[in-house]
Amino acid sequence: MGDNPHQLIRQIADGDTRALAALYRAYERPVYRFIVSRLNDPHEAADILHDVFMDIWRGAASFEGRSQVRTWIFGIAYRKVIDMHRKRARVTVTDDVPEPADAAEGAEAGYAARQEAEHLRFCVDALKDDHRVAITLAFYEDMTVAEIAEVAGVPEGTIKSRLHHARKLLLHCLSGRIGARSPA
Amino acid sequence: MTRSRAEIEQDLPFAVNGTLSDADLAEFTALTESDEQLRAEFEAMSAIRARMQAEDARSPGEIGLARLMRDVDHDGAAPAAPNRTWIWQLAAAVAVAAFLGETLFLDGADDGGFQLAGVHHAETADLVVSFAPGATEDQIRTLLVGVNAEIVSGPSALGFYRLVVIDEGQAAIATAADALMAATSVVESVVDAQN
Repeated sequence: MGDNPHQLIRQIADGDTRALAALYRAYERPVYRFIVSRLNDPHEAADILHDVFMDIWRGAASFEGRSQVRTWIFGIAYRKVIDMHRKRARVTVTDDVPEPADAAEGAEAGYAARQEAEHLRFCVDALKDDHRVAITLAFYEDMTVAEIAEVAGVPEGTIKSRLHHARKLLLHCLSGRIGARSPA
Repeated sequence: MTRSRAEIEQDLPFAVNGTLSDADLAEFTALTESDEQLRAEFEAMSAIRARMQAEDARSPGEIGLARLMRDVDHDGAAPAAPNRTWIWQLAAAVAVAAFLGETLFLDGADDGGFQLAGVHHAETADLVVSFAPGATEDQIRTLLVGVNAEIVSGPSALGFYRLVVIDEGQAAIATAADALMAATSVVESVVDAQN
Protein backbone atom coordinates (compact mmCIF):
# COMPACT_ATOMS: atom_id res chain seq x y z
CA MET A 1 0.00 0.00 0.00
CA GLY A 2 1.43 3.35 -1.02
CA ASP A 3 1.66 6.19 1.49
CA ASN A 4 1.23 8.89 -1.12
CA PRO A 5 -1.91 10.78 0.01
CA HIS A 6 -3.45 10.88 -3.46
CA GLN A 7 -2.83 7.17 -3.84
CA LEU A 8 -4.41 6.54 -0.42
CA ILE A 9 -7.51 8.46 -1.46
CA ARG A 10 -7.81 6.37 -4.63
CA GLN A 11 -7.52 3.21 -2.56
CA ILE A 12 -10.13 4.48 -0.11
CA ALA A 13 -12.42 5.18 -3.04
CA ASP A 14 -12.03 1.51 -3.92
CA GLY A 15 -13.14 0.54 -0.41
CA ASP A 16 -9.71 -0.13 1.12
CA THR A 17 -10.10 0.32 4.89
CA ARG A 18 -6.36 -0.11 5.46
CA ALA A 19 -5.73 2.93 3.27
CA LEU A 20 -8.28 4.79 5.39
CA ALA A 21 -6.40 3.73 8.53
CA ALA A 22 -3.12 4.91 7.02
CA LEU A 23 -4.64 8.27 6.08
CA TYR A 24 -6.15 8.58 9.56
CA ARG A 25 -2.77 7.94 11.18
CA ALA A 26 -1.13 10.52 8.95
CA TYR A 27 -3.63 13.33 9.55
CA GLU A 28 -5.53 12.56 12.74
CA ARG A 29 -3.38 14.62 15.09
CA PRO A 30 -3.12 17.87 13.10
CA VAL A 31 -6.78 17.76 12.09
CA TYR A 32 -7.84 17.11 15.69
CA ARG A 33 -5.66 19.97 16.92
CA PHE A 34 -7.21 22.26 14.33
CA ILE A 35 -10.74 21.26 15.36
CA VAL A 36 -10.14 21.46 19.10
CA SER A 37 -8.52 24.87 18.72
CA ARG A 38 -11.84 26.11 17.34
CA LEU A 39 -14.19 24.33 19.73
CA ASN A 40 -12.39 24.03 23.06
CA ASP A 41 -14.26 20.83 23.71
CA PRO A 42 -12.22 17.64 23.29
CA HIS A 43 -15.28 15.38 23.16
CA GLU A 44 -17.02 17.39 20.46
CA ALA A 45 -13.70 17.70 18.64
CA ALA A 46 -13.28 13.91 18.69
CA ASP A 47 -16.79 13.51 17.29
CA ILE A 48 -16.09 15.97 14.49
CA LEU A 49 -12.77 14.30 13.72
CA HIS A 50 -14.67 11.03 13.39
CA ASP A 51 -17.23 12.66 11.09
CA VAL A 52 -14.44 14.12 8.95
CA PHE A 53 -12.95 10.68 8.33
CA MET A 54 -16.38 9.16 7.73
CA ASP A 55 -16.90 11.86 5.08
CA ILE A 56 -13.53 10.98 3.57
CA TRP A 57 -14.55 7.33 3.49
CA ARG A 58 -17.86 8.13 1.84
CA GLY A 59 -16.60 10.89 -0.43
CA ALA A 60 -13.16 9.70 -1.55
CA ALA A 61 -14.55 8.85 -4.97
CA SER A 62 -15.52 12.48 -5.49
CA PHE A 63 -12.00 13.79 -4.74
CA GLU A 64 -10.74 14.98 -8.10
CA GLY A 65 -7.12 15.51 -7.12
CA ARG A 66 -7.06 19.16 -8.12
CA SER A 67 -6.14 20.22 -4.60
CA GLN A 68 -3.76 18.76 -2.07
CA VAL A 69 -5.19 16.01 0.11
CA ARG A 70 -4.21 17.98 3.22
CA THR A 71 -6.15 21.09 2.24
CA TRP A 72 -9.11 18.94 1.18
CA ILE A 73 -9.21 17.27 4.61
CA PHE A 74 -8.77 20.52 6.51
CA GLY A 75 -11.49 22.06 4.34
CA ILE A 76 -13.91 19.33 5.41
CA ALA A 77 -12.96 19.91 9.05
CA TYR A 78 -13.29 23.67 8.62
CA ARG A 79 -16.86 23.38 7.30
CA LYS A 80 -17.90 20.86 9.94
CA VAL A 81 -16.84 23.20 12.73
CA ILE A 82 -18.78 26.03 11.09
CA ASP A 83 -21.83 23.75 11.01
CA MET A 84 -21.30 22.99 14.68
CA HIS A 85 -21.08 26.68 15.51
CA ARG A 86 -24.31 27.29 13.61
CA LYS A 87 -26.05 24.50 15.48
CA ARG A 88 -24.90 25.86 18.77
CA ALA A 89 -25.87 29.37 17.69
CA ARG A 90 -22.81 30.22 19.61
CA VAL A 91 -22.19 33.84 20.47
CA THR A 92 -19.30 35.11 18.37
CA VAL A 93 -16.27 35.98 20.36
CA THR A 94 -15.53 39.66 20.14
CA ASP A 95 -12.30 41.39 19.32
CA ASP A 96 -12.29 43.11 22.69
CA VAL A 97 -9.17 42.57 24.69
CA PRO A 98 -10.11 40.15 27.47
CA GLU A 99 -9.77 41.13 31.08
CA PRO A 100 -6.75 39.56 32.70
CA ALA A 101 -7.75 36.87 35.16
CA ASP A 102 -6.54 37.01 38.71
CA ALA A 103 -3.48 34.92 39.45
CA ALA A 104 -2.41 35.25 43.00
CA GLU A 105 -0.85 31.84 43.38
CA GLY A 106 2.27 30.58 41.74
CA ALA A 107 6.00 30.91 42.17
CA GLU A 108 7.00 27.25 41.79
CA ALA A 109 9.46 26.19 39.09
CA GLY A 110 7.98 26.20 35.61
CA TYR A 111 5.16 28.43 36.66
CA ALA A 112 6.19 31.24 34.32
CA ALA A 113 6.34 28.94 31.30
CA ARG A 114 2.95 27.43 32.09
CA GLN A 115 1.49 30.87 32.60
CA GLU A 116 2.89 31.98 29.27
CA ALA A 117 1.28 29.02 27.52
CA GLU A 118 -1.96 29.72 29.33
CA HIS A 119 -1.91 33.37 28.27
CA LEU A 120 -1.34 32.34 24.68
CA ARG A 121 -4.17 29.79 24.76
CA PHE A 122 -6.46 32.37 26.32
CA CYS A 123 -5.62 35.00 23.70
CA VAL A 124 -5.92 32.58 20.76
CA ASP A 125 -9.28 31.40 22.11
CA ALA A 126 -10.44 35.00 22.39
CA LEU A 127 -9.98 35.60 18.66
CA LYS A 128 -12.92 35.42 16.28
CA ASP A 129 -13.19 32.08 14.53
CA ASP A 130 -11.98 33.42 11.17
CA HIS A 131 -8.90 34.89 12.79
CA ARG A 132 -8.26 31.78 14.86
CA VAL A 133 -8.49 29.56 11.78
CA ALA A 134 -5.93 31.65 9.95
CA ILE A 135 -3.50 31.75 12.88
CA THR A 136 -3.92 28.05 13.61
CA LEU A 137 -3.28 26.96 10.04
CA ALA A 138 -0.35 29.36 9.63
CA PHE A 139 1.39 28.56 12.91
CA TYR A 140 0.32 25.04 13.86
CA GLU A 141 0.28 23.62 10.36
CA ASP A 142 2.74 25.96 8.62
CA MET A 143 0.45 26.28 5.62
CA THR A 144 1.07 28.70 2.77
CA VAL A 145 -1.33 31.58 2.21
CA ALA A 146 -2.72 29.73 -0.83
CA GLU A 147 -3.41 26.59 1.23
CA ILE A 148 -5.17 28.52 4.00
CA ALA A 149 -7.25 30.36 1.39
CA GLU A 150 -8.27 27.04 -0.12
CA VAL A 151 -9.26 25.55 3.24
CA ALA A 152 -11.35 28.60 4.17
CA GLY A 153 -12.68 29.11 0.64
CA VAL A 154 -11.73 32.79 0.47
CA PRO A 155 -9.19 34.83 -1.55
CA GLU A 156 -5.56 35.00 -0.43
CA GLY A 157 -5.90 38.71 0.27
CA THR A 158 -8.64 37.98 2.79
CA ILE A 159 -6.39 35.53 4.61
CA LYS A 160 -3.54 38.05 4.74
CA SER A 161 -5.91 40.66 6.08
CA ARG A 162 -7.30 38.27 8.72
CA LEU A 163 -3.80 37.32 9.79
CA HIS A 164 -2.80 40.97 10.00
CA HIS A 165 -5.71 41.69 12.38
CA ALA A 166 -5.23 38.44 14.26
CA ARG A 167 -1.58 39.08 15.02
CA LYS A 168 -2.28 42.64 16.19
CA LEU A 169 -5.06 41.40 18.48
CA LEU A 170 -2.92 38.55 19.73
CA LEU A 171 0.00 40.80 20.60
CA HIS A 172 -2.34 43.36 22.19
CA CYS A 173 -4.02 40.66 24.27
CA LEU A 174 -0.72 39.10 25.34
CA SER A 175 0.88 42.38 26.27
CA GLY A 176 -2.25 43.25 28.28
CA ARG A 177 -2.22 39.99 30.21
CA ILE A 178 1.51 39.72 30.74
CA GLY A 179 1.82 43.42 31.52
CA ALA A 180 -1.01 43.18 34.03
CA ARG A 181 0.89 40.52 35.97
CA SER A 182 4.35 42.03 35.86
CA PRO A 183 5.65 43.50 39.08
CA ALA A 184 5.52 47.28 39.19
CA MET B 1 6.07 45.10 -9.88
CA THR B 2 7.07 46.72 -6.62
CA ARG B 3 4.89 45.96 -3.64
CA SER B 4 3.85 48.53 -1.07
CA ARG B 5 5.20 48.48 2.48
CA ALA B 6 1.78 47.37 3.79
CA GLU B 7 1.69 44.45 1.38
CA ILE B 8 5.14 43.29 2.41
CA GLU B 9 4.24 43.59 6.11
CA GLN B 10 1.31 41.24 5.53
CA ASP B 11 3.84 38.53 4.65
CA LEU B 12 5.06 38.43 8.26
CA PRO B 13 3.22 35.22 9.30
CA PHE B 14 4.58 33.43 6.24
CA ALA B 15 8.09 34.69 6.90
CA VAL B 16 7.64 33.21 10.38
CA ASN B 17 6.41 29.81 9.16
CA GLY B 18 8.95 29.61 6.34
CA THR B 19 6.54 29.34 3.42
CA LEU B 20 7.42 32.58 1.59
CA SER B 21 9.06 32.42 -1.82
CA ASP B 22 12.73 33.46 -1.90
CA ALA B 23 11.87 36.74 -3.61
CA ASP B 24 9.15 37.67 -1.10
CA LEU B 25 11.35 36.65 1.82
CA ALA B 26 14.19 38.83 0.56
CA GLU B 27 11.79 41.77 0.29
CA PHE B 28 10.47 41.15 3.79
CA THR B 29 13.96 40.76 5.28
CA ALA B 30 15.08 43.99 3.68
CA LEU B 31 12.14 45.78 5.26
CA THR B 32 12.86 44.41 8.75
CA GLU B 33 16.41 45.74 8.50
CA SER B 34 15.07 49.27 8.40
CA ASP B 35 12.06 48.77 10.67
CA GLU B 36 12.84 47.88 14.26
CA GLN B 37 9.19 47.47 15.24
CA LEU B 38 8.50 45.05 12.42
CA ARG B 39 11.59 43.06 13.40
CA ALA B 40 10.42 42.94 17.02
CA GLU B 41 6.98 41.78 15.86
CA PHE B 42 8.59 39.10 13.72
CA GLU B 43 10.49 37.82 16.74
CA ALA B 44 7.39 37.90 18.93
CA MET B 45 5.33 35.98 16.38
CA SER B 46 8.16 33.46 15.95
CA ALA B 47 8.07 32.86 19.70
CA ILE B 48 4.27 32.49 19.58
CA ARG B 49 4.51 29.95 16.76
CA ALA B 50 7.15 27.97 18.68
CA ARG B 51 4.94 27.97 21.76
CA MET B 52 1.88 26.89 19.76
CA GLN B 53 3.77 24.04 18.14
CA ALA B 54 5.00 22.87 21.54
CA GLU B 55 1.40 22.42 22.70
CA ASP B 56 0.44 18.76 22.70
CA ALA B 57 -3.24 18.09 22.05
CA ARG B 58 -4.30 14.63 23.20
CA SER B 59 -5.98 13.30 20.12
CA PRO B 60 -8.23 10.20 20.05
CA GLY B 61 -5.43 8.21 18.36
CA GLU B 62 -5.91 4.45 18.05
CA ILE B 63 -9.15 4.60 20.01
CA GLY B 64 -10.56 7.00 17.44
CA LEU B 65 -9.33 4.72 14.67
CA ALA B 66 -11.11 1.75 16.24
CA ARG B 67 -14.31 3.77 16.37
CA LEU B 68 -13.85 4.80 12.75
CA MET B 69 -13.25 1.23 11.58
CA ARG B 70 -16.30 0.04 13.49
CA ASP B 71 -18.52 2.67 11.90
CA VAL B 72 -17.06 2.12 8.46
CA ASP B 73 -17.93 -1.53 8.96
CA HIS B 74 -21.48 -0.52 9.89
CA ASP B 75 -21.63 1.90 7.01
CA GLY B 76 -21.63 -1.04 4.64
CA ALA B 77 -19.39 -1.82 1.67
CA ALA B 78 -17.27 0.70 -0.16
CA PRO B 79 -17.59 4.49 -0.37
CA ALA B 80 -20.17 6.01 -2.65
CA ALA B 81 -19.41 7.11 -6.17
CA PRO B 82 -21.22 10.36 -6.95
CA ASN B 83 -23.38 8.98 -9.77
CA ARG B 84 -24.55 5.91 -7.89
CA THR B 85 -26.05 7.47 -4.79
CA TRP B 86 -29.18 5.36 -4.76
CA ILE B 87 -27.14 2.15 -4.60
CA TRP B 88 -25.40 3.32 -1.46
CA GLN B 89 -28.58 4.59 0.09
CA LEU B 90 -29.87 1.07 -0.37
CA ALA B 91 -26.64 -0.39 1.01
CA ALA B 92 -26.85 1.93 4.01
CA ALA B 93 -30.43 0.86 4.65
CA VAL B 94 -29.36 -2.79 4.53
CA ALA B 95 -26.44 -2.07 6.85
CA VAL B 96 -28.72 -0.33 9.34
CA ALA B 97 -31.10 -3.26 9.23
CA ALA B 98 -28.21 -5.69 9.77
CA PHE B 99 -26.87 -3.57 12.62
CA LEU B 100 -30.24 -3.46 14.34
CA GLY B 101 -30.57 -7.23 13.94
CA GLU B 102 -27.18 -7.85 15.50
CA THR B 103 -27.85 -5.43 18.32
CA LEU B 104 -31.00 -7.29 19.21
CA PHE B 105 -29.02 -10.53 19.43
CA LEU B 106 -26.34 -9.08 21.66
CA ASP B 107 -28.03 -9.74 24.97
CA GLY B 108 -27.00 -13.08 26.28
CA ALA B 109 -23.94 -13.41 24.06
CA ASP B 110 -21.42 -15.59 25.85
CA ASP B 111 -18.32 -13.53 25.19
CA GLY B 112 -17.48 -11.91 28.49
CA GLY B 113 -19.15 -8.71 27.38
CA PHE B 114 -16.53 -7.48 24.98
CA GLN B 115 -18.31 -7.79 21.65
CA LEU B 116 -19.51 -4.54 20.14
CA ALA B 117 -22.80 -4.43 18.33
CA GLY B 118 -22.33 -5.01 14.63
CA VAL B 119 -18.74 -6.19 14.85
CA HIS B 120 -18.05 -9.53 13.22
CA HIS B 121 -15.16 -10.31 15.50
CA ALA B 122 -14.73 -13.90 14.47
CA GLU B 123 -14.14 -12.78 10.89
CA THR B 124 -12.09 -9.66 11.45
CA ALA B 125 -10.07 -9.97 14.65
CA ASP B 126 -6.94 -12.01 15.24
CA LEU B 127 -6.10 -11.04 18.82
CA VAL B 128 -7.84 -9.63 21.87
CA VAL B 129 -5.71 -7.45 24.12
CA SER B 130 -5.98 -5.23 27.15
CA PHE B 131 -3.61 -2.35 27.68
CA ALA B 132 -1.84 -1.41 30.90
CA PRO B 133 -3.63 1.39 32.76
CA GLY B 134 -0.60 3.67 32.49
CA ALA B 135 0.03 3.05 28.79
CA THR B 136 -0.10 6.22 26.76
CA GLU B 137 -1.73 6.56 23.36
CA ASP B 138 1.74 7.18 21.90
CA GLN B 139 3.09 3.93 23.33
CA ILE B 140 0.07 1.99 22.06
CA ARG B 141 0.31 3.54 18.61
CA THR B 142 4.06 2.84 18.34
CA LEU B 143 3.64 -0.74 19.51
CA LEU B 144 0.78 -1.49 17.11
CA VAL B 145 2.59 0.05 14.16
CA GLY B 146 5.68 -1.98 15.13
CA VAL B 147 3.81 -5.30 15.10
CA ASN B 148 1.76 -4.30 12.04
CA ALA B 149 -1.57 -4.62 13.82
CA GLU B 150 -4.66 -2.42 13.93
CA ILE B 151 -7.46 -2.06 16.44
CA VAL B 152 -10.74 -3.04 14.82
CA SER B 153 -13.02 -2.63 17.81
CA GLY B 154 -13.07 -1.74 21.47
CA PRO B 155 -12.83 -0.96 24.18
CA SER B 156 -15.39 -3.39 25.52
CA ALA B 157 -17.03 -2.95 28.88
CA LEU B 158 -14.11 -4.92 30.32
CA GLY B 159 -11.51 -2.86 28.49
CA PHE B 160 -10.60 -5.34 25.75
CA TYR B 161 -9.57 -4.33 22.22
CA ARG B 162 -9.79 -6.57 19.18
CA LEU B 163 -6.84 -6.42 16.80
CA VAL B 164 -6.25 -7.56 13.28
CA VAL B 165 -2.70 -8.43 12.19
CA ILE B 166 -2.11 -6.99 8.76
CA ASP B 167 0.32 -9.66 7.56
CA GLU B 168 -1.62 -12.81 6.78
CA GLY B 169 -1.04 -16.24 8.27
CA GLN B 170 -0.87 -17.84 11.69
CA ALA B 171 2.88 -17.30 11.89
CA ALA B 172 2.43 -13.53 11.57
CA ILE B 173 -0.29 -13.57 14.23
CA ALA B 174 1.91 -15.60 16.57
CA THR B 175 4.85 -13.24 16.02
CA ALA B 176 2.65 -10.23 16.72
CA ALA B 177 1.22 -11.89 19.84
CA ASP B 178 4.73 -12.60 21.14
CA ALA B 179 5.81 -9.00 20.55
CA LEU B 180 2.70 -7.68 22.28
CA MET B 181 3.19 -9.98 25.29
CA ALA B 182 6.81 -8.84 25.54
CA ALA B 183 5.70 -5.20 25.83
CA THR B 184 4.67 -5.62 29.45
CA SER B 185 4.63 -1.90 30.21
CA VAL B 186 2.00 -1.33 27.51
CA VAL B 187 0.02 -4.58 27.19
CA GLU B 188 -1.58 -6.43 30.07
CA SER B 189 -3.00 -9.45 28.28
CA VAL B 190 -3.07 -11.02 24.82
CA VAL B 191 -5.49 -13.73 23.72
CA ASP B 192 -5.96 -15.38 20.33
CA ALA B 193 -9.37 -14.19 19.11
CA GLN B 194 -10.01 -17.43 17.29
CA ASN B 195 -9.85 -19.51 20.51
